[in-house]
Amino acid sequence: MMHPFRGYRRASGRPGVRNLTLVLSVTGLTTPAARRIGATLRHVTALGTSFGSGMLGRDREVHRAALVGMARHPNVGGVVVIGADPPVVEAVGAAAEAAGKEVAAISLDDCGHDVLTLQDRAIRAAADIVHRLSRQQREEFPASDLLLGLECGRSDPSSGLVANPLVGALVDRLVDAGGTAVFGETTEWIGAEVPLEAKAADPNVAAELRAAAARREAMAVAGGIDLTWNNPSTTNIRAGLSSIEEKSLGAIAKAGSRPIQGVVPYGEAPPGPGVWAMDAPAYAPESLTGFTCAGCSMALFTTGVGNSYVSALMPTIKLTANPATAGRVTQQIDLDASAVFAGRETLEAATERLGAHLLEVASGALTWGEILGEGDEVISRMGAVL
Amino acid sequence: MTARSALRLQPGDNVATALRDLAAGEVVELDGLRIRVGEPVPLCHKLALADLAPGDAVLKYGQPIGVVTAAVAAGGHVHVHNMQSARGRGIAHEPQVLSPR
Repeated sequence: MMHPFRGYRRASGRPGVRNLTLVLSVTGLTTPAARRIGATLRHVTALGTSFGSGMLGRDREVHRAALVGMARHPNVGGVVVIGADPPVVEAVGAAAEAAGKEVAAISLDDCGHDVLTLQDRAIRAAADIVHRLSRQQREEFPASDLLLGLECGRSDPSSGLVANPLVGALVDRLVDAGGTAVFGETTEWIGAEVPLEAKAADPNVAAELRAAAARREAMAVAGGIDLTWNNPSTTNIRAGLSSIEEKSLGAIAKAGSRPIQGVVPYGEAPPGPGVWAMDAPAYAPESLTGFTCAGCSMALFTTGVGNSYVSALMPTIKLTANPATAGRVTQQIDLDASAVFAGRETLEAATERLGAHLLEVASGALTWGEILGEGDEVISRMGAVL
Repeated sequence: MTARSALRLQPGDNVATALRDLAAGEVVELDGLRIRVGEPVPLCHKLALADLAPGDAVLKYGQPIGVVTAAVAAGGHVHVHNMQSARGRGIAHEPQVLSPR
């Protein structure tokens, strides 16, 4: 049983937990302009890719789909799409419009290739959207409308012992209520294949999970690196994690105990409720953006020694069970679970607290990452480029 | 609930996780075992619950998390200096040592 939250109704798709005006630069040439627009206006989230032409094949498809995923994101009420190339700008704008967003699409071609003209037009368009969106009121929605991304970063053994099982316990409750959650970081399935397969909804899913982990392991070997000292990193090792197997076995606890319904590709939305795995890189910026583009409205992010990074479009609840970390980075940790680590609070009581906090943030309470402006979105690259 | 000093996650595990900094000489009691800590084991690091020999699997979460590379007695600190991962080792690796920070 989970209480409802107060979010923003959307013309199509899940409700938003924020009502953001997004300035989205879809080509690298206009991303500095997006940053200036973001610095000029209040109540605007400015994001952009650093890339543009020369992308090929799946890399190109994933990149385009990810930009569309951001423009159509549940937490976005309206978007000003800027870019150098009219076809890309118009395609992303049209996709957002089809999802019921307020849209302005402006390319450098429309502005005589003068970036200051583009900047001026985009600022005015964004201001109008902010003005209109600010009138929309929150409404009540069931918790089952939430799609959560599950992340861990700068882990230590307290992550695997408490913080990740705590997230997993809340995921169990959300899934039992009809909600959806996605975990990724495929490298952190290596060594945890046995318990992952045991949770797979069917043998095909089990085989996909094992194959995805094997592909990542093969990438590390083919890349000529020693996975130890890369993942786990020096920071992880200093904190007490000795191997990827140990890190993975702790990491997968985030997914809880309910059946894993399937494996989705990077940035793609899970096709139904329940727990889903995303085959994706492990580094937090590109991992979180995979969840963002899949339409996750919020993220739960566990850390061992501390990790300041959050998503720009998904409010990201940061939690730790490490007592030293909880005491040190007080303006980073949204939920302190160190009492569970110390044996002074039950996991069940902490799950209750985390669930209440999740719904509070879904209804508008700000995370530290939002207040500090730590958010960004980084689209993963894959394969050759021209 | 009483404050514990170390936690074994699964009954068959041969390591436990320190829930605080453990000092050499102190005795840790868990799951009916009495382990005399042989060397400092920092918060969150692993404590050997049995004598481990090179080639033994290190077990945590009921799963192998690596292979013992140097003998470690019960009560010892189990980490990258005496165990290593069995996965994703792309190059013949020189053992790396953590420098004090």
